Amino acid sequence: MGFFSDLMEAVTPWAEVEAEAPAKEEEEEGVKDSRDEESEDKEEEEVEEEEEEEEMVDPKEKFEAECRESKGCSSYKHHFDECVERVTGKSDDGPKEDCVEEFFHLAHCANACAAPKVFAALK
Amino acid sequence: MLARSCLRSTRGVSAVRNGAVNTTKRAASSTSNAASPFALNVAGTVSTAMAIGSAAWYYHLYGPELHAMTPVEEGLHPTKYPWEHAKWNKTFDHQALRRGFQVYQEVCASCHSLSRVPYRALVGVTHTVDEAKAMAEANEYDSEPNDEGEIEKRPGKLSDYLPRPYKNDEAARAGNNGALPPDLSLMAKARHGGIDYIFNLLTGYPDEVPAGAVVPEGLNFNPYFPGTGIAMARVLYNELVEYEDGTPASTSQMAKDVTEFLNWSAEPEMDQRKKMGVKVITITLALFALSVWVKRYKWAAVKTRKLNYTPPSMGGKHTNGH
Ligand code: HEC
Repeated sequence: MGFFSDLMEAVTPWAEVEAEAPAKEEEEEGVKDSRDEESEDKEEEEVEEEEEEEEMVDPKEKFEAECRESKGCSSYKHHFDECVERVTGKSDDGPKEDCVEEFFHLAHCANACAAPKVFAALK
Repeated sequence: MLARSCLRSTRGVSAVRNGAVNTTKRAASSTSNAASPFALNVAGTVSTAMAIGSAAWYYHLYGPELHAMTPVEEGLHPTKYPWEHAKWNKTFDHQALRRGFQVYQEVCASCHSLSRVPYRALVGVTHTVDEAKAMAEANEYDSEPNDEGEIEKRPGKLSDYLPRPYKNDEAARAGNNGALPPDLSLMAKARHGGIDYIFNLLTGYPDEVPAGAVVPEGLNFNPYFPGTGIAMARVLYNELVEYEDGTPASTSQMAKDVTEFLNWSAEPEMDQRKKMGVKVITITLALFALSVWVKRYKWAAVKTRKLNYTPPSMGGKHTNGH
């Protein structure tokens, strides 16, 4: 739609808006059906192929795992690993400690590092 | 002071020529004999020290930030993602909105209502009229009372709102271990971090709870939820839905789509708002350009005016004639 007709619409709120679906679908139905059948055949083939493939990997998980191991996050990773070792090796009657804050720092670093890569990989 | 007295002495010389005017000026300035330089220096130093001191005191009182909550109680701050539709000159990706609606309907709708969205709102955004009508008709709604005063059921219409999964909040709590799944219509505006928060929340359940963390019975560990214990378990897993456009349905893809959809439900006017903004900028610039030309036109007469001063001749040969 042209810019000026758009402007006209903006100042004439009584203008019409079309919300109906495009009408031509019915005419094409005959053609479409045959195409549908074809594509269904193809889909079946694809499904078979997919079954052979390994499981889908979530890009976010993949990039974040890489980022956790990266140099930029190495100090957070170090602190977290150390904490986990300390806490899991400790006897139950000592002072209570958890690694949530260390986890936060590592996760924050890895997520920020992965964010642009994840969105580049998604649609 | 020095400069002034110098000026005064030169003026004294010219006073001879200019007469009475300068004598009054000199009288006025000589009465204001200012404080000594030492007193002035002390005043300046003290006031400066007080200014610095009060700033320091203010910082001492109010400067350091107080954190009443531990980081765990605050929750992990959501990571910012480069959302395409959030840029000022970009619109929603309506293909993504359609996928996001599918995720909402197939996954979230069994627990969360979306009470502010009627079927008609989806028309032209995610679905065509016929599709939206068909979806509405798949639900039953109460009709107006009939002749006997009975309320019958009727199929849904475009003007009906999306049905809620539970009759009321109590039923919703009863079905979710006492936790109420909040309505999602305005969720993108209702939380710090907005869409980044929702996306992080949905994808942020770690495989393993960090060592030593205590997760209360019936809750799940999610670092982004304040307190880290959330009643909603992880709901999105790879290939949970099958997209009709063939997009690979990874966990983060579904989370991204449903989050963008929830952004639309909270801000359905966004596309129009941005378009309006560009219109405003365009028209304002056009009017500004016009005003520049009008100003030139209006000022042309003034700017090209020539003042021609012909001094009246005094003395000389003309006066001789009178
Ligand atoms: C099994 C039921 C269930 C499903 C399915 C479900 N949720 Fe939830 N959701 C809950 C419950 C219960 C809460 C309340 C959690 C709490 O307060 O601890 C919640 C809370 C939320 C919150 C608010 C968190 C906050 O900060 O208060 C968001 C956002 C949310 N859900 C989004 C979604 C989305 C998006 C989906 C679909 C992909 C979804 N949920 C699917 C049960 C569910």
